[in-house]
Amino acid sequence: MNQRPSSPPDPMELKIVLAGLGGQGVIFTTRLLAQTAVALGQPVMASEVHGMSQRGGSVVSHLKIGGSKAPLIRRGTADLLLALEPNEAVRNLPFLRRGGIAFVNAENSLQPEVAEHLERLEIQVLSLPASRMAMELGSIAVTNVILVGFAAAHSSLPLPIDTLRETLTTMARRRRELNLQALEAGYRAGCRMQETGSMRL
Amino acid sequence: MKYEVVLGNEAIALGLVEQGCRIVTAYPGTPSSEILAGVIKYKKRFARRVYTEWSVNEKVAFEIALAASWTGLRAAVAMKQVGLNVAADPLFSAAYLGVKGGLVVIPADDPGPYSSQTEQDSRLMALSAKVPVFDPATPAEARAMVAPAFALSERFGLPVILRPTTRLCHARQSLALDETQPDTAIPVVKFRKDPPRWAATPRMRYQLHVALNDKLRQVEAEFVRSPLNYVVDEGTSDRIGVIASGVAFHTARQAILELGVSVPLLKIGTPYPLPQELVGRFMAGLRTVVVLEEPDACIELQLPDRSHVRGRLDGTVPAAGEFSPEAISAVLAEVLTDAGYKVNPPPNDPDLQNLVRSLSLPVRRPSMCPGCAHRSTFFALKREFGPQTILPSDIGCYTLGINLRAVDTCVDMGASVSMATGFYQANRLVGDTRPIIATIGDSTFLHSGLEPLVNAVHTGARFVLIILDNHTTAMTGFQPTAASEILAEDSDIARKVKIADLVRACGVTFVEVADPYEHNAFRSILRRAYDHSQAPEGGVAVVIADRPCVLYDPSPLHQNLTPVVVIEECDGCGYCVEAFECPALVLRPDKSRVDVDYKICVACGQCIDACYKGFIVPQEAETEGVER
Repeated sequence: MNQRPSSPPDPMELKIVLAGLGGQGVIFTTRLLAQTAVALGQPVMASEVHGMSQRGGSVVSHLKIGGSKAPLIRRGTADLLLALEPNEAVRNLPFLRRGGIAFVNAENSLQPEVAEHLERLEIQVLSLPASRMAMELGSIAVTNVILVGFAAAHSSLPLPIDTLRETLTTMARRRRELNLQALEAGYRAGCRMQETGSMRL
Repeated sequence: MKYEVVLGNEAIALGLVEQGCRIVTAYPGTPSSEILAGVIKYKKRFARRVYTEWSVNEKVAFEIALAASWTGLRAAVAMKQVGLNVAADPLFSAAYLGVKGGLVVIPADDPGPYSSQTEQDSRLMALSAKVPVFDPATPAEARAMVAPAFALSERFGLPVILRPTTRLCHARQSLALDETQPDTAIPVVKFRKDPPRWAATPRMRYQLHVALNDKLRQVEAEFVRSPLNYVVDEGTSDRIGVIASGVAFHTARQAILELGVSVPLLKIGTPYPLPQELVGRFMAGLRTVVVLEEPDACIELQLPDRSHVRGRLDGTVPAAGEFSPEAISAVLAEVLTDAGYKVNPPPNDPDLQNLVRSLSLPVRRPSMCPGCAHRSTFFALKREFGPQTILPSDIGCYTLGINLRAVDTCVDMGASVSMATGFYQANRLVGDTRPIIATIGDSTFLHSGLEPLVNAVHTGARFVLIILDNHTTAMTGFQPTAASEILAEDSDIARKVKIADLVRACGVTFVEVADPYEHNAFRSILRRAYDHSQAPEGGVAVVIADRPCVLYDPSPLHQNLTPVVVIEECDGCGYCVEAFECPALVLRPDKSRVDVDYKICVACGQCIDACYKGFIVPQEAETEGVER
C-alpha cells in the first residue's frame, strides 16, 4: 500500500488531455484521475464540455494537476494525452509538448506521415487494443479504465496504482469488480510493455 | 477539512447553501443546468432547509425568487444567458424596486458558443439594467463570491448578478469542504406590506431610478476597496499593463509567464459598476493597457479614456468566439511585440498542426440517439408532406432534425409556433400554398409555446403543430417538466399538467395524441391534421407525438424490441443513412452496402421503414428466410 504523502506534498505539475467520442467515458476518466490526484494532496483543475457535444460527437477534456488555474491547456504544452479512439488521438496530438507521451486505444499504429513528425518532436505513442481487451473482459464500457491502468504503469503518470484502485472503488458504483479487473488488466499490460521494451503488444 | 473535486456549477451551489440561501429556482439550460441539482445535493448533505424548483421558464423562476427575497429570505435564480432575456422584464424592474433578503441572479454565459443561439454577455445586460456584477475566475472563487454577493445585495437592497461562463461552469476543481458547519436557523422574517414601495407607480419609479443611481455610486466606491479587485503582479514594465476578468484572468496570467515577460496584471472581480478610481490608478503611467474579458467588452466599454486601450473595441481581441489560451497568447504577443518587447515563440508545432488538419479526420457531428422518437416523427412528416414543406422548429435535442432536413428555422424558445403563424400570414399575401408543419418539444412548449398558440388560434392561422413529447427536458440532462409527475424534490405533491388539455384550452379543435413509433397510424393522423388545418371550419391542428426519450425511460422500447438486419441484397444506395440518419446505420466507405453498428443499435426497429427497397428487415424474418 502506498503511503499518503505527508504534507506538504511534492509539487506536481502535470497537464493531461483526454479525448474520445461521446459515450466512451472521457468525463469519468477525467474524474478518476482528478480524484486520485486530490487523494494524493494535489490541487486539480479540469475542463470538460457538456450539452450538444455529448450526443455522440468528439469529446475532449483538459486536466491540470498542480500548476495554473486556467481551465484550458495550450497547444504544445500538454505532458500526456489519453485517447480512447485513434482519430481523436491524432486530432489532439498538437496539444502535446516536445517529449510528451500519448496513450492510445488502438489496434494499429498511427498514420505513417504523423509518426515522422512525432519522432522529430520526440513524442512517444504507446498504444493498446483496450477496446478488444474490454470486450474480452465482458464490456466495451471499461475501455477507458483499461487505458488508465495502462498509463499508470508508465513513470510519466505519477498516480500510484493503489490510489487509483481506491478511487475507482468509490467511484464505480455499478460493476465495481469489472472496473477493478479492467484497471489491473491495463496496468499489467503496461508493466509487460515496460519490461519487454516493446512498443507493441 | 476534506478536499473534493467539485464541478463549477456545484461550487456555486455549495456557496448558496453555505450562505443560507433558502429559495433557489431555475430553468435548465447549458451551461447552467447543474446549479440547481448541486443545491439539492448540498442541502441534503448539510441538512439545510432550502426550497428548490424547476420553474416553467426563467421569467417565472426570477419572479418566484424575487418574492422570496421580499419576504426577507435569501434567494437565487439560475439560468443560461439567453434565459436572462426571458427574465429581463422582472430583472429591470427589480433593480428599481429593490430587494429585502439577498437576491443573487446567476446567468451562465456561453462564449464559443457551445450550446446557445448567441454569445451575448450578461454583464452588458446588467449594465443596462443597472445591477452590480460579480465575475468569478474559478469554481473556488465562484463559491467564495456568493458571500459578498449576498452581503452587497442586502446592504444596498439591490439584486446582484453572479456571472459564470461555460469554462467555469464545467470546470472541476479541488475544493475544501467543512462537514462540521452548524446549521443556521431560518431567519424570522415575513413579507411587510408596503404598496408604495412594492407596487410603485411611474412617478415613484423616477424617484427609485434616482435612488438606484445613487446606490450604484456607493457600490462603485465599495468595489474600489473590494479585495475582489487587485493587482496580482506588479511587473517590471512601465509600458504595458493587462486588465483581466473571469476565466480569461488565469489564462492571461499563464500566457504572460509563457511569453517570458513581466507586466503588471489587474484582476477585476466586479466588472460593473467598474471601480474607476482603482482602474485609473493602475492605468496611470502605462503607455498601453490590454483588456481581456469574455464574451464581450464590459470593462473596456466603461473606461472613460480608451485612447491607450487595446481590446475588443479597437479590434485587437477577436470580436467572436471563445477566448482560448492560444488566442489570449496571440493578442498579448502582438501588443508586446508592437511595444518593442521580445517574447517567447508559441510552444505549438505548426507543421504537426497543419499535417493533422490536412488528414481531414472524420468529424462526428452530433445526432439524435439511436431509438430517438424525434427521428421517427421527422421521418414520418417528411414522407407525408415532402421536401417543399416549411418546417419551423425550436430549441432542444430535436433541433438536430436539421440533419434529416426536417428543421428549417430555429430562433429562440417557443418561436416555432409564432414563426409558423408568421409564415402563414406572409404566404397568404404572396399566394404560397406550401404546407407549414411546426415542431416543438414538451418542455419548450410549456416554457414559451402557449402564448403564441393562443395568438395563432385567435388570429385564424392555419398550420400543423407537432409537440414532441418525450416526457422530459432531455438535452440538458432530464429535468422534469410541468407535464410530468416529478418535481426537483418532494415529487409526491406534484400535479401533472396535461399538454393535450392545455392545447384544447387554447381553442385548438384538432388535438390528437399518437405514438410516432407506429408509422402508418402516425402518418395518417398527420394527414388528418393537415386536412383540418386547410378545411373551411378548421384552423391550427396539434399532434402530440408521445414517446419517452430512450435515454430517460427505455421501458416502452424494452417491452417491444425489434432487432434488425440489413440483408445481403443491400445495394448501398445510402438512402436510409441520408434520410433516417441513425448513427447505428453505417454506409461502408466503398458504398457497397449499409451495416448495422450493433454496439450502439437499441433494436427499436424504426429503420425498417427507412429502406423503401425492403433491405432492412426484422431479425426473425431474415432467419426464417434462411431456414426456408
